Amino acid sequence: MDWRSGRLPLKGLRVIDWSVYWAGPYLGMMLHDLGAEVIKIESPSNWDPMRTVIDVNKYAGASAKPLTAQERSNTNQHYNEWNRGKRSFAVELKEPRGRELLLKLAAHSQIVIENHRPGAKEKLRIGYDDVRAVRPDVIYLSLSGFGQTPPERDAMALGAPVELASGLFSLNGYRDSATPAKTGFSYGDPVGALTAVSAVLLAVRSWRKAGQGRNIDVSMRDALAFGIGAAFTDWSLNGTDRPRRGNRHPSFAPQGVYRTKGADEWVAISVCDDNEWRQLAGLIGADGAMTTEQRRLAHDELDALIEAWTSQRAAREIESTLQAVGVPCAAVLDYPQLAVDPQLAARGAFQKIEHPVFGTEVRSSNQWQRGDDAQPVGMPAPCFGADNRYVLGEILGMPQDEIEALERDGVIGSAILAPAE
Amino acid sequence: MNDTLADLRVVELSRTAAAAFAGRLCASAGAEVVLVEPPDGHPLRREGPFLRDEPNVETSAAHLHINAGKRSVIIDIDTDAEALRTLLNSADVFVTDLYAHVLDPFGLGWAALHKRRPSLVMTRVTPFGDNGPFAPYAGTNITGLASGGQLKITGDPDKPPLSNFGAQAEYQAGLSAFAGTVANLLLRDETGEGEYLDLSMQDVIATNLEHRSPALNLGLEANRVGLTVSATYGVYACADGWVYVTAFAPALWGRLLSVIEMPELRDGRFSTQSARLENNDELQALIATWTITKSSAELHGLALRGYPLTVMTTPAMLLESEQWRTRHVARRITHPVGGAYDLIGAPWLDDDTVTLAPAPRLGEANEELLGTRTGARA
Repeated sequence: MDWRSGRLPLKGLRVIDWSVYWAGPYLGMMLHDLGAEVIKIESPSNWDPMRTVIDVNKYAGASAKPLTAQERSNTNQHYNEWNRGKRSFAVELKEPRGRELLLKLAAHSQIVIENHRPGAKEKLRIGYDDVRAVRPDVIYLSLSGFGQTPPERDAMALGAPVELASGLFSLNGYRDSATPAKTGFSYGDPVGALTAVSAVLLAVRSWRKAGQGRNIDVSMRDALAFGIGAAFTDWSLNGTDRPRRGNRHPSFAPQGVYRTKGADEWVAISVCDDNEWRQLAGLIGADGAMTTEQRRLAHDELDALIEAWTSQRAAREIESTLQAVGVPCAAVLDYPQLAVDPQLAARGAFQKIEHPVFGTEVRSSNQWQRGDDAQPVGMPAPCFGADNRYVLGEILGMPQDEIEALERDGVIGSAILAPAE
Repeated sequence: MNDTLADLRVVELSRTAAAAFAGRLCASAGAEVVLVEPPDGHPLRREGPFLRDEPNVETSAAHLHINAGKRSVIIDIDTDAEALRTLLNSADVFVTDLYAHVLDPFGLGWAALHKRRPSLVMTRVTPFGDNGPFAPYAGTNITGLASGGQLKITGDPDKPPLSNFGAQAEYQAGLSAFAGTVANLLLRDETGEGEYLDLSMQDVIATNLEHRSPALNLGLEANRVGLTVSATYGVYACADGWVYVTAFAPALWGRLLSVIEMPELRDGRFSTQSARLENNDELQALIATWTITKSSAELHGLALRGYPLTVMTTPAMLLESEQWRTRHVARRITHPVGGAYDLIGAPWLDDDTVTLAPAPRLGEANEELLGTRTGARA
C-alpha cells in the first residue's frame, strides 16, 4: 500500500470518537491510521474507563517512576495502545452547554463512532437522529455486544463474555473434551472493531458517490458468529453436535501443538499434503508413504513420534529445520518473544514512541502500512482534554474568553474528576 | 451496505480461508467475486463436515459459508496462466494468498499487473508478508496463531496451548485484508490508480492482542488461564451450561450482589476489588455454588435485565433466537446440490434486502467468463 505520498483514504474527514474500553477505541485508531482526524470524546465526570478501571500501571511494581493517580490516567498502557494518534476533547456531556458543543463539533465531522451500552446515546440525546439534525449526511456507527435491537440490546456485553453468546465458546475446546474453552482474551473486541472499520469504509464510499449518510449497527456477537459461519451452516444441514477438535484440523494431518525442550515452550506443526509429510516423516523416522487418510487414523501414534522428536529440540530450531524443507511450523511465541521477533521487527510492527508523561512506549504501527511501506508511528495517545482549545478555538472558532469561561464552569476539563486511589 | 461494491469485479485466487474470507466480504458488499479454482477445486471444498457427512466438493459447510455469493471458474495456472491474466483485464480487485515467488514467474506479480492494468487494486495476504527473514515460510491457520502470539495465551495452564475453533487467524487476517482493500478502493476512486496491500497474518494476530501493550511496556506477564481470569471475571458452570460473570468494577460487583443474595458475599473479605482478588479462590467457590443452581434460561433472563451475566449459546440456539430473527443475521437459501441451508450474510448488520447467492458449483462460470477456455480439463 503506497501511501508514502501522504495520500490516505480518509484524508480530510473528521471523526468523533465517543468510545470506551477496547473495540471502539481500536476502531477510532484504525480510522486515524487511514487518514482521518479522530477526536476522542470523554467527560471529566465520565471518562473512558480504560484509563483507570484496569489500572495496569499500578501493578507494574518495578516502574522506576512513581506516578500520581492523575498521571496514571494518562499513561494506562491499555488506553495508550488503542488511542494512539487521536486528539482529546473532554467535555461534560450531561451539561446542556457540553452537549451543544458536541453537536457543534458534529456539524464539522463526517463520522461519529460510539460503543457505549445501547440507550446511553439516547439518554444524552446525542444519538443518530440528534446528530443527523445538525449533520444530515453523517455516518454514525454504533458498536455493541448484541446490537441496537431488542430484546438483547440491554444485556451487558464486553468482548470476553460476548464470546459465550456467539457460538464460538460452545465449539472451542480440547479434543473430545466435554468442557468448552475460551480464547485467552477479549476476542470480540478486535473482531468487532475490524468489522466496524470495514462498515465505515463502505459507508464512506457510498457517501462519496451519492452524498448519503448512514446509521450502522455492528454487534461483536454477530461478527464473531460470521467467522464460524460454517458451524451454523453445518447445523442447518445436519443438525448434529460435533466433538471438539482441539488442535487438529478437518483436512490436514498430522496437525498439533507439540512440547519442545524449553519449559512451557511449544511448536505448532501442520502437515497439509503428502509431500510435506514425506519431509517430516524423514526427520522423525516415520513412514513417509502414509496417505492422508492413514495419517488421520494413526494421528495419536504420529503425535507421539513427533513429540519424541520435538521434545529434544528448541522451538526456534524445530521451526527453521522444518521450514527449510517446506513443512508449515511455527514456534509458539509469548509476549517477550514477540517483542524481539525478527520477522515482526522487519515488518515494523512495533515501534518506539515518546509519550509526554510515560516516556518511551512501544506501540503497534498502522497494520496496512508494514513491510516495505512501514511508516514511523506518529503521535502518542492524548492526555485527557489536551486538545480542548484546539477543538473549540480552531475548529469551532470560539474566542479565548469563552473557552476560559467553559473551563471555569467545568463544562470542559483537563483532568478526570475522581481518580482511583 | 450490500450494494456498495456492486460496480466492481473481484478476482480471488486463494488456497486458504484468509483470502477467501476477504473475497467473501467483497461479495457481502455487493461485488461480483470470481473465485479462481484449481482443477480439483478450492481446498475448502474438501474440508469437512459435509452434508450428511458424505464428502462432496459441493457440500462442505466451510465452502458453503465462505464461498457463498461467489462465481467459480477453473484455471490451472501452471498450464494456463494466460487465462487468469486475461480475466484480470476485466478486474477491479485481485485478492490472493499465493506468495510473490509463486505468482511472479507467471506475470501475476504486482509490478507486472500494475503495468498491464494500472487501475487494478491488489491484495495479498500471506503467513508472514512479502519481506523479512520469514517471508518465504509456509504457514496455516494454527501456525498463524502461534507466530502471532494468540496460541500461547489460549487454553488451560496445565495443558498445551489450544487453537480456537474455526480458522480464527485466517478470519482476522481476512477482515483486515478486506478493510485494507476497501481503503485502497477509496484511493482508486479518487485517482483512478490501483494500489497494493501486502498483509501478513502474523502481523494482524500480533496487533490484535489485548495484553501486548502492558506486557511490552510494563513487563506484565500473561499466560493462558483457562476459563477464569478471576472470580469476578470468568466462566462458571450453571445447571445446564456455562455463564460468564463480569463483576470486576465496583458498580458491576454491586449489581451481582443484588442478584446473588448470599450474605457471605457481603463479608469484609470481599469488600473491595483488591480484597476480592486477594481472596479469589474462596470467592470463586461461593459464586460457583450459586451459578450451578441456575439454568441458562434463568441466567439469560437476568442478563436481559442488566445483570452482568452472559450465558453460553450454541449455533442452534442462536439460529432460533428472537434477536437473530429480528436482525435477519442468517437467511435460509437453497443450493442446487446441498439443498436448503442457513447462511450468515455479513458480519455487520445486513440492513438491505439483497440475499447472497449460494456458493458456486465448481467451474459453473467457466463458459461465461472464460469463453472457449473452459479451463476444466477432463
